[in-house]
Amino acid sequence: MGRRKAAAPSAVKKGGVLATVWKYRAPYLFIAPFFILFLVFQLIPVIWTFVISFADWNGLRNLRWVGFHQYEVMFQDYMFREAFMNNVWYWIVAVIGVVVIALMIAVCLNSPRLRAKKVFQTVTFLPYVCASVAMGLIFMMLFDENAGLINEIIVSLGGKRRAWLGSSQYAKIPVIILFIWRIVPWFTIIIYSGLLNISKEYYEAATVDGAGVLQQFWYITIPLLKNILFFCALTVTIDIWKMFNESYTLSGPGTSNTSLFQLVYENGFKSFNLGYASALSVILILVLLVISMIQYRLRRSEEGV
Amino acid sequence: MASKNNRGQSIAVNAFMIFVVLVCLFPVLWMCFISVKSVGEKISGFAALTIEHPTLANFGRLFELIPVWTNLFNSGFTTVLGTITTLFFCALAGFAFAKYRFPGRAKLFAFVVATMAISAEAGAIPLFVIMRKMNLINSLWSLIIPRIATAVGIFYLTQYIKDVPDELVEASRVDGCREFGIFWRVVCPVIKPALASWASLTMIARWNDYFWPLLFLNKNSKYTLMVSVSMLPVSDGLATPWQVILAGCTLVILPAIILYLLMQLMQKAGSFSGAVKG
Repeated sequence: MGRRKAAAPSAVKKGGVLATVWKYRAPYLFIAPFFILFLVFQLIPVIWTFVISFADWNGLRNLRWVGFHQYEVMFQDYMFREAFMNNVWYWIVAVIGVVVIALMIAVCLNSPRLRAKKVFQTVTFLPYVCASVAMGLIFMMLFDENAGLINEIIVSLGGKRRAWLGSSQYAKIPVIILFIWRIVPWFTIIIYSGLLNISKEYYEAATVDGAGVLQQFWYITIPLLKNILFFCALTVTIDIWKMFNESYTLSGPGTSNTSLFQLVYENGFKSFNLGYASALSVILILVLLVISMIQYRLRRSEEGV
Repeated sequence: MASKNNRGQSIAVNAFMIFVVLVCLFPVLWMCFISVKSVGEKISGFAALTIEHPTLANFGRLFELIPVWTNLFNSGFTTVLGTITTLFFCALAGFAFAKYRFPGRAKLFAFVVATMAISAEAGAIPLFVIMRKMNLINSLWSLIIPRIATAVGIFYLTQYIKDVPDELVEASRVDGCREFGIFWRVVCPVIKPALASWASLTMIARWNDYFWPLLFLNKNSKYTLMVSVSMLPVSDGLATPWQVILAGCTLVILPAIILYLLMQLMQKAGSFSGAVKG
């Protein structure tokens, strides 16, 4: 390996770029498929999205350039505002919910007091295996106003029957519960593998010093898991901003629980207003870009330390 | 004092986990229950939890409503072929990144990692237009080709292949193996556990895929099972009984669960946690 590395600069001098590429043709060839596919199916579409957002187009003909018109429409559009705010709400609830629940489950899975660990590990991963669309149909019935089990339980506990999916007030709740239910196992595993890497000695030393379980959790586990928890929060963020299946299957009245990406789909492929849908996509792209920039910054600053 | 404390903790931990397991299992079991209840039976509220006359008639009705076998074939085809191609190309790229030193390697790898942030969904509108230009609308290949080599897969397999000893690669090179031969005959067999766990995750994801099939396929005979099932509530003139809808859900969820449990049985403990390390 070292020999090859040393040879690289001279190859560039002798025969230029083509010679270098030829010399290293094997690795370049091996990684080429990714870059070609990325170019055709990801980079070009994303750039093209920006272009179409300045047009009025139904996807077939009659493409008309309209400047910033779509954006003007968008900022007037209450559906956009509602979907965007829905997504902000989903985002906050999901990040907190997923990280807290996944952390609790991971800590319990890691606890020496848990019996039949393997069984628990296997079963708690199951929700992630279940298709979100099928689970959406199941949740639709569980949360049904009249026949649903959830209302039945609430009533038997002395509560009030609620129109979960029939009212704009509550329609977001089944969606976010479904999202969290299905995604938590994935993050449980990530956090659990982080816990496995924490040396037992820390806890032993803390026990000797007389620190209780909660203190150990707060002063040892949390600080050592900081990076992993942050990684989880970012991943949830990306997932929630492109959420589609959950809110699409469990759609409430109007845009009461529509996600931003769902709005893109509905404008683009139901009313074939590709220009407007692209303008909405641009907002989505900007959100994702800002998130990844934050991530990049933080990673950089950590490497600097 | 200490032992009493331990006992309390032990009860708390086990009780909490049993509660979690119930929450995880309940919707799935409830679905299975309702899917074998006859259409006349009460399914609302707690009544859903008792079965008086178990029947498979709902599944029969399902076969009348949607072309189950065709949809099943479509789902299987995209899942299996999608997983095989992805494994092959991701491992190949991972091999290049992990075991070769070539100009631009670090930069290109950083680029691959960076692409994970912006997902393909962001360009869904033009992607549809591109697929139409390529005549891939209503073709199952539209679900396979764009994801032949994914950034996540390359990232994961690169990390894994890095752990393969360089000596092994060098030795086979000295023995006269061609570059591809090294990958296929030396590296692939060594990284089998990683390939297996990545394969199972990919298979589950592809089987459960919904947005892309919904976008690229618009014929009954081309739908994957997931799309067909999602349309069940409106397929019988809005009158599909819940028993039948949930039979459809059972049909898509059970294979994934069975596959997952089989994989768990075959693999050693913690293989999934290895899959997402870092």
